[in-house]
Amino acid sequence: MPALTREREVREAYAAHSGELYGFAVRSLGDAGMAEEAVQETFLRAWKAGERYDPEIGSLRTWLFAILRNVVIDMGRARASRPRVGPEQGIEPSVEPLEQALVAWQVEEAMRRIGEDHRRVLLETHLKARPYAEVAAEMGVPEGTIKSRVYYGLKALRVALEEMGYDD
Amino acid sequence: MTTDDHRDWRLSLGAYALGDLPPDERAALAAHLEGCPECQAELRELEGVAALLPLADPARIETPAVRPPADLGARIEAQIAAEKAREGRAKRRRRLRFGLGGAVAVAAVAAVLALVVLPIGGENSPAQEVNFGSVANEVSIKAVLEPHAFGTEIHMYVKGVKSGTLCRVFLRDAHGRTFSAGTFRYRWGEDSEAELSSALDLSQTAEIGVHAGGRTYVAPVSQATALASGAEIDPA
Repeated sequence: MPALTREREVREAYAAHSGELYGFAVRSLGDAGMAEEAVQETFLRAWKAGERYDPEIGSLRTWLFAILRNVVIDMGRARASRPRVGPEQGIEPSVEPLEQALVAWQVEEAMRRIGEDHRRVLLETHLKARPYAEVAAEMGVPEGTIKSRVYYGLKALRVALEEMGYDD
Repeated sequence: MTTDDHRDWRLSLGAYALGDLPPDERAALAAHLEGCPECQAELRELEGVAALLPLADPARIETPAVRPPADLGARIEAQIAAEKAREGRAKRRRRLRFGLGGAVAVAAVAAVLALVVLPIGGENSPAQEVNFGSVANEVSIKAVLEPHAFGTEIHMYVKGVKSGTLCRVFLRDAHGRTFSAGTFRYRWGEDSEAELSSALDLSQTAEIGVHAGGRTYVAPVSQATALASGAEIDPA
């Protein structure tokens, strides 16, 4: 059954996915105004192509992210074609390839969703490469606890990604 | 190997998957993995997410999630509604260009009414575009007339008159009888199209007139030509 051809369906899709789409748009465009524009354009394109959306093929979220990805590419092209006067100013957009930025953003979002203890341990020990002993002392727990929090943290991160609809 | 040993090894699998175990512990766990299918399976599950974690930017994780502005949803809905209205108009224009009648369902209902009220249904005559010729400077008036079972649908395109001007539109048949097509107000800066209708059948229509700003502009409607020029008959 096709979705997103009616205004009510657009409203529901917006309620469910706009936060994530906007978060990724801000991350990849580096500008809140452009991100708003990108999200608006995404839902407009989704509504116009609503008949072509097939839930059998993939989730609505994946479909919307695919549209947003194209919108962001188009906006990046438009920005690149504008003449530059002086050095670039403002927030720097993400420079990594868009596919990778999309995955990275989802991991960052999933990290925000897991428990504080798990997030902190993964952040400090792995992303900031600090020794387990140092992090253990700082958090006032035995080193073994840090190790088990890394284990449970990774499992929680995997669940969070799955719940967000991440498909690899 | 005791159950406790196994549990300890399992809890180290996260650090192992991330490559963060010291070399000696790493070697010992690798030895345990050799003979433990359960830990092997668990490791495979963790390896996927462990490979993704380094992509994350720590600074971005620590920044609170951004939220779209509260009115963005409403703005999107408004844009879609506007787009829908525009599409509807474009569809009607396309229909006019190709000289097609109205939607079949609407025509069917209207045809029943036509049997009672109107002697003739003119659905088969083509739509007509009428340009008003001798109008005042800067003023441009164009009408597209579309035949219907109920009479004639009229799309008026007016430009150059004062914003807010009341425009009264009528059709006349060959005997000089006038049939009202209603009124509209011209608004500067907005889509200048007005949609009106009259009970007079298009095949019976000889003239179309617009009374606006104290002047009346009349243009002949001809079945033979789609375009006609009008003459000002009634200067104020």
